[in-house]
Amino acid sequence: MSDAIIRFEGVTKSYDGVTQVVKALDFSVLRGEFVTLLGPSGSGKTTTLMMLAGFEDPSSGAIMFDGRLLNHVPAHQRGIGVVFQNYALFPHMTVGANLAFPLEMQGVARAEREARVRAALDMVKLGALADRRPSQLSGGQQQRVALARALVFRPKLVLMDEPLGALDKQLREHMQLEIKHIHETLGVTVVYVTHDQGEALTMSDRIAVFHNGRIQQLASPGEIYERPANAFVASFIGENNRLDGTIESMADGVARVRLADGSIVAATPGPGVGSGARVTLALRPEKVRIGPDAGGENRFEARIEELIYYGDHTRLRLALGGGEDFTARLTFKDALARPERGDVIPVSWRGVDCLALAPEEA
Amino acid sequence: MSSRLASRRNVMAAALIAPLFLLVALSFLAPLATTLYRAIEDSDFSLALPKTSRSLQQWDGVALPPEEAFRSFVEELRQAQQDQAAGAILNRLNFEETGLRTLLLQATRASGRLAEPYRDSMIALNPRWGDPALWRLFKRATGPFTSLFLLRSLDLKPTDQGVAKAAAQDAVFLPLFWRTFEISLVVTILCALLAYPVAYTLSILPQGWANVGMMLVLIPFWTSILVRTTAWFIILQREGPINALLMAMTLVDQPLTMIFTRFAVYIAMVHVLLPFAILPLYSVMKGLKPDYMRAAASLGAPGWKRFLRIYLPLTMPGVAAGSLMVFMLSVGFYITPALVGGPGDQMVSSFIAFFTNVSVNWGMAAALATLLMAMTGVLVVVARLVVPGFRSGGVKA
Amino acid sequence: MAAPAAPRPRRSLIEASLYAVTALILFFLVAPIFVVFPLSLSSGELLVLPTPGYSLRWYEEFFTSNRWLLATWNSFVVGLATMIVATLLGTLAAFGLYLGQFRGKALIIAILSLPMVTPIIVTAIAMYFALSLVGLGSTLTGLIIAHTVLSVPFVLLTVLASLQTFDPNLLRAAASLGASPPVAFRRVVLPLIAPGVATGALFAFATSFDELVVALFIASPGQFTLPRQMFAGVREFLSPTIAAAAVLLIVFSALLLAINEMIRKRAQARGISSGPTP
Repeated sequence: MSDAIIRFEGVTKSYDGVTQVVKALDFSVLRGEFVTLLGPSGSGKTTTLMMLAGFEDPSSGAIMFDGRLLNHVPAHQRGIGVVFQNYALFPHMTVGANLAFPLEMQGVARAEREARVRAALDMVKLGALADRRPSQLSGGQQQRVALARALVFRPKLVLMDEPLGALDKQLREHMQLEIKHIHETLGVTVVYVTHDQGEALTMSDRIAVFHNGRIQQLASPGEIYERPANAFVASFIGENNRLDGTIESMADGVARVRLADGSIVAATPGPGVGSGARVTLALRPEKVRIGPDAGGENRFEARIEELIYYGDHTRLRLALGGGEDFTARLTFKDALARPERGDVIPVSWRGVDCLALAPEEA
Repeated sequence: MSSRLASRRNVMAAALIAPLFLLVALSFLAPLATTLYRAIEDSDFSLALPKTSRSLQQWDGVALPPEEAFRSFVEELRQAQQDQAAGAILNRLNFEETGLRTLLLQATRASGRLAEPYRDSMIALNPRWGDPALWRLFKRATGPFTSLFLLRSLDLKPTDQGVAKAAAQDAVFLPLFWRTFEISLVVTILCALLAYPVAYTLSILPQGWANVGMMLVLIPFWTSILVRTTAWFIILQREGPINALLMAMTLVDQPLTMIFTRFAVYIAMVHVLLPFAILPLYSVMKGLKPDYMRAAASLGAPGWKRFLRIYLPLTMPGVAAGSLMVFMLSVGFYITPALVGGPGDQMVSSFIAFFTNVSVNWGMAAALATLLMAMTGVLVVVARLVVPGFRSGGVKA
Repeated sequence: MAAPAAPRPRRSLIEASLYAVTALILFFLVAPIFVVFPLSLSSGELLVLPTPGYSLRWYEEFFTSNRWLLATWNSFVVGLATMIVATLLGTLAAFGLYLGQFRGKALIIAILSLPMVTPIIVTAIAMYFALSLVGLGSTLTGLIIAHTVLSVPFVLLTVLASLQTFDPNLLRAAASLGASPPVAFRRVVLPLIAPGVATGALFAFATSFDELVVALFIASPGQFTLPRQMFAGVREFLSPTIAAAAVLLIVFSALLLAINEMIRKRAQARGISSGPTP
């Protein structure tokens, strides 16, 4: 961890002295890393970013940046680039002037300033628009300008606060890749805030999942998706079937879990759960197999409550294990032909695909 | 405040606000406070006749004051005559009771000749000096505070027994306040009635015409009140264009007297204040979505009902805001009545000016100012409570 | 052109009378102002219409009279000084109120705009007493102080209105790009609220330029402003010079109005708020 560029040490933030928006935050970001703070609104991710940028200060704890205490350094002396959700381009300045602004503040000479502005604009493919005003640009172009402005003064760290939130879906996906490429090219450290899990999975080296002011899990996208640390992470990232039960016994890394209706399911225990613990089973719909010969040690009969057509697959809402919200995906590969509402069908899944996780705190 | 960042911001904010706040505090709030203080402050007597004041303050006020009080009085009158410093106290006492100036002047002139015992020689000079009620009046005038000016502003006067109605010839202020209120009310109603159709028409006209109409409202709005009042002064005079026109058309054979009448005051004040009523009303009407009226129409309301039940209530805040502005400004009007009105059309402001400049009775000026302020203050408070979103803005009287 | 809908005579009658009433009222608002134009060009000694003939003698009188020239000079000196001080203090205070995160902001705004709702005569005598007390009665400085207090609320309110549309993220962006608060104010805030500041400044100037009541109490003949000199003229000897002065004042007010409209139009075109009309 010697190459951590950012370190949060026991950072808490409270606006009113009573409710803590961020609770005892401890984490590091490595140099050159792309870390995403992901969570629902009010989870503390934006506050964390604001403290890093210097727009808010922590109520307690320490924020270290590049080896020095950042807590009381004013925002304008931090040298951290920020891309804002609404871009915050200066409407009275041209694109070029917007980009030259941070260089002026640093006292960069005019000739070099112009060269660097041109290079930054070329990087985001807007070389021809230096003399336009922000209001004359499309949303996507403004977004690129904001990106270029946050990078042009070569900060060691760039913060992005839902920078793609205002763009339409197609443009957003395109920009995700572009930002990722820029990050790879420049090697700059990026801390990225979003509530869009897809975005987080696509772009990040690591994801910090925020909930109730705490980081629930900080890990690579694959690990977050495959091995969620708790029921919140499991449900927030991707789709998940949730079944509540109690671990009856544990053996050889397999937990036997009794569900509400008395049936027993074999599952893989998550971190920190043991025999007798109340758990939430998390099972992704795509891991549910349909049909009599599908394999998987957990076999159930389920009644189809509803069929929803999605084009590339059909989603089935099933009654299973005492609930009626169990979801499975029926693709063209599944043998089952033309199921109908009310049919009782065999479903199964493997114990390794089903995680027994500590339930969400109420 | 737990956050250092927030307190740093607030320190910066305070530093930015402070210069203006100091300016307003020092050159507006402080003068205003001292002016209001003058309404109850009473030091003319005790400054001019300090020893007399002291003995009168110790006197029980039942029988005549002791000889010592008479002696100090005569001695200090002699001194005042030498210093020619009797003016202020003569004014002060004569204002409280007409005729005291003559009495005091007589005593001052005679003060050199009066011999001991002063009490007897003064009573010999004028039997009124033997009246304990007169001395009780003096005792009340020794200050440091008096209710005289405020009571007089309400046509009352302080007496030995408490408060009584002021003498008929002094009871001019309640009618004055009433007149001020009446003129303001009439002007306000006229402005509201005239502003409504204008604002409505401007709000439905196509943009180009609306801009032209708006200019016609804004030009007078930006033109000095004095210029506009002067224009009316010229128009309404006996030899003015209106009379010339009427005579030329032989509608009248004698010029009409319009200048120096209530009519002139109304017409000039409405002219000055009408833009203040039109502007807020226009912005309310302009901001009103046509959807409401369309909805009402789709629900089957005929035109006049749509107007009465939907449009009028929705535009009422604009009427209220404009009317309030107009009324508040009217109450303090000075120049327009002074130029085009007659003696019977002057408002409170004129009397404040009169007491400040002409009769130099600053206590009275301050008392009237205090009441005028109170009247406006009550109005603003009522406005804030009654009119939703009322913001006082755009005053330039 | 044929009307697509059926004719509705009653409705159009109402509309016609509405337009007629509006036209009449607008005529009432504007006509008196224009009456003084022909009068100022009269060749006669009296303010009567029709004029016996036309001449520029009263304008000549105005521009050769020491009294009128002094009054003009005084009006501009006081107006400009008032404008500068009021705009400076009002803009800074408005930004302070925008920045601050404390309770009682509404109260501070109310106190600072008190001069606007106080009856002018009360302000005038308060100023008269206070300025004579500190020896500033009958001085231009005294008049400037009084006018600044009277006009500063307009600056404060217009700038506050402009700041309402100012995106606070722009300040954060400026900070993240290395601009200290003063630099951010000068480079980012000020250019964006400039239309509001300009409107406030213009209004401050106009307030001072038109102000008479305070001048009545504070100014001796040496400090007479244009309105004060005009008032003296109306009261004493009503010569057509007054009409000439009035015309000059009207033209000047129209000029200020035009500048203000220009600022508003330009701000609108740039998508920046200039605060409320006026």
